[in-house]
Amino acid sequence: MIEIKVALVGQPNVGKSYLINSISGATLHVGNFSGVTVEKKEVEFQRNDYKLKFIDLPGTYSLHPYTPEEKVTKDFLLNEDYDLILNVVDSNQLQKNLVFSFQIADLNKPMVIAFNMYDEFSRNGGEIDTDKFYKLTNILAQNVSAKEKFGLEELFKKVIQTYEEKNTPRIYYSETVEEEITNVKRKIKKCKFDKRFVAIRLLEDDEDIYKLIHKKPWYIDLISQLRASKERIKIEFDEEDIKEIFFEERLALSKGIISQIAKRARKEKLSEKIDKILIHPILGLPIFLFVMWILFQSTFSLGAIPMDYISSVFNSFGDLIGKIFPNGIVKDSIVNGIIPAVGAVVMFLPNILILYLGINLMEQTGYMARAAYVMDGILKRFGLQGRAFIPLVSGFGCSVPAYMAARTLKNPKDRLITMLVIGFMSCGARLPIYVLLVSAFFPKHIQGNVMFAIYIGGALIGLIVAKILREVLFKGEPEPFVMELPKYRFPKLKAILFDLWIKTKMYLKKAGTFIAFASLAVWFLSSFPRAGIIKEYSLKIENAKGIEKIKLEKRIKKEILENSYLAKIGKLIEPITKPLDLGWREDVSLLAGLAAKETVVSTMAVLYGEGGKHTSKNLIEKIRKNMLFTTAVAMIIIVMFYSPCVAAMSTFYAEVPQWKWRLFYTIYPNVFAYIAAFLGVSLIKFFQ
Amino acid sequence: MKLNELNIGESGIIKKIYAKEPLKSKLLSMGFARGEKIKVLKHTLAKNTFDIDINGVNVALREEEAKEIEVEKI
Ligand SMILES: Nc1nc2c(ncn2[C@@H]2O[C@H](COP(=O)(O)OP(=O)(O)OP(=O)(O)O)[C@@H](O)[C@H]2O)c(=O)[nH]1
Repeated sequence: MIEIKVALVGQPNVGKSYLINSISGATLHVGNFSGVTVEKKEVEFQRNDYKLKFIDLPGTYSLHPYTPEEKVTKDFLLNEDYDLILNVVDSNQLQKNLVFSFQIADLNKPMVIAFNMYDEFSRNGGEIDTDKFYKLTNILAQNVSAKEKFGLEELFKKVIQTYEEKNTPRIYYSETVEEEITNVKRKIKKCKFDKRFVAIRLLEDDEDIYKLIHKKPWYIDLISQLRASKERIKIEFDEEDIKEIFFEERLALSKGIISQIAKRARKEKLSEKIDKILIHPILGLPIFLFVMWILFQSTFSLGAIPMDYISSVFNSFGDLIGKIFPNGIVKDSIVNGIIPAVGAVVMFLPNILILYLGINLMEQTGYMARAAYVMDGILKRFGLQGRAFIPLVSGFGCSVPAYMAARTLKNPKDRLITMLVIGFMSCGARLPIYVLLVSAFFPKHIQGNVMFAIYIGGALIGLIVAKILREVLFKGEPEPFVMELPKYRFPKLKAILFDLWIKTKMYLKKAGTFIAFASLAVWFLSSFPRAGIIKEYSLKIENAKGIEKIKLEKRIKKEILENSYLAKIGKLIEPITKPLDLGWREDVSLLAGLAAKETVVSTMAVLYGEGGKHTSKNLIEKIRKNMLFTTAVAMIIIVMFYSPCVAAMSTFYAEVPQWKWRLFYTIYPNVFAYIAAFLGVSLIKFFQ
Repeated sequence: MKLNELNIGESGIIKKIYAKEPLKSKLLSMGFARGEKIKVLKHTLAKNTFDIDINGVNVALREEEAKEIEVEKI
């Protein structure tokens, strides 16, 4: 078996991840905006006698990296070991893409080009002659479509061929430039890179390459030659900026080659037409808010429809277990611990799927980038830039990818500010808590709007906090905003359903493993110690009759709960949260939420669920009876702002190396949540 | 004139990029090069953010960045 390590390199949003998925059946995340992939991902697959290891790298516009995630790609290309570069190109944007292709061709590594999105390109009458391209550049190329899955076999063959023949690109610049490259090259002695590549990068003032060679003995000798060569190029081209000269060289090459190999496609007007409305100077913003409103409304109201079915399934399952198992701790823990808790979490799966579907559609169609454009003006006022909008919106789904997405922000200050407020964008896992509390405490006709208010309110306060952080801790101008708006694309229904299916699987798996285990622990801690209490009551119960007996049974359960281990822990914290009207059961649920936000609901289901059937209505009923309105509001506010789950926190720690910011990040949301909840509760009491 | 002085629907030829590195390289690699034709497709109400067509690529940029690009209106 021969192993080939293939690095996928290309500009953002050309379909690198999609191509890997189509070739190997992997499930990398695909989205229609630049900056979907922000860390390198590896996918392995076998075919015939070959084992191919694909490395999906973040899209980058050039080898002069601009954002942290682009730097990942450059670092990989310079320092890691790989056999072949598969350069993915968007056929619709040949000119811009090939400029980058020629830049990586300088690396002098075996290289293959995939002209992707050929489906769109050829539909509009475009054509690319890859044989001619090969003759001109010595790069084997293939027209492919990751979406419609054609050209993939041929591409695979060309990758193998290029690997076996160690076929490297042959691309030459204009005469003067080539002469000076040769002059500089002559002074380069031993070096792990290709000498021509080093010469070109040095002429282009690449700091990374300077750093690599400035300790070499031949450095001094090289520098004087380099200076002379640069001088000559500058005079010859009558331009001070050599980077620009090289860029224009490649642009000229690109144009020249395109005119020989490609037939132009008709210009597509669809995106422009849609944009006439969606990013209209006046209507753009209201449309965006309306879209968000629809999303949260339907999350709430459509999601409520299947709720009762799901919980009735869990009920009958509980009844079944109740009949099969003999009485005892095992049965008790399953029927009163795991089943209601897991049921309560699974019940909210439809809500979460709708939310994900909405975010997914925004990502896939290209609307996300437009929303960033529309919101840029507002974000600027809060000291952020439009690009920050994308991580913030991803935060409504899950904070973990949102923290990663912040890598697309160039300026470290912008990045940190954004990351510090991402937690205020309520993630999907917090949705069940809101749905539960809102359903229990707000009149039916405004429930959807309350949900919308929670999300938008969280986002707005997040922006205000961003502004304060900018003013107090991170003075300075926000970074420039330059972002490509991709064309609108309509994703395949199959791909969307598949995505939802993956989400469902993951959610159910989490409910069945982590949540089940956590609720078992909660049940255990809230049901013991009980020997003493049972002894005390058993005689009374035996003697009692009818209603008296049921009352006693209820009382014993309450007594056990109130004296349990969990209650003891909870009651330690209770005094702190007393001003917020929170009792120990809420405290414990919120604490459990630090492990994963889903456990808030599952813990409440165990702690409030004693007795009666566990239908959704029932849990909501019980919560309504046992909780004050102010308690519910305090809980909602705390969930909006306090620390996210451990998974999110560890992602933040991994992304932010400075201890002082890690510490700040760990403390301030909780203080903020406490104060906000206190204000909220006090306000309600004041007006009551 | 500067790019931000163009109105919706107007086109121009790029004359010079004043932006400093690394923004300059970024603009270049997105296609903003001397001699290329650009068209203003949209801008927001206060002309804060622009949507520019360059060679069939749509790029959003701010007034601050648009100011760094010298164009000749056509
Ligand atoms: N029509 C068509 N669309 C495609 C094709 N390949 C990818 N796309 C779409 O192009 C968009 C970008 O795809 P990705 O795979 O996320 O692109 P990427 O290069 O990995 O992007 P970054 O992670 O930003 O670097 C998605 O909306 C895809 O659906 C193709 O062959 N044909």
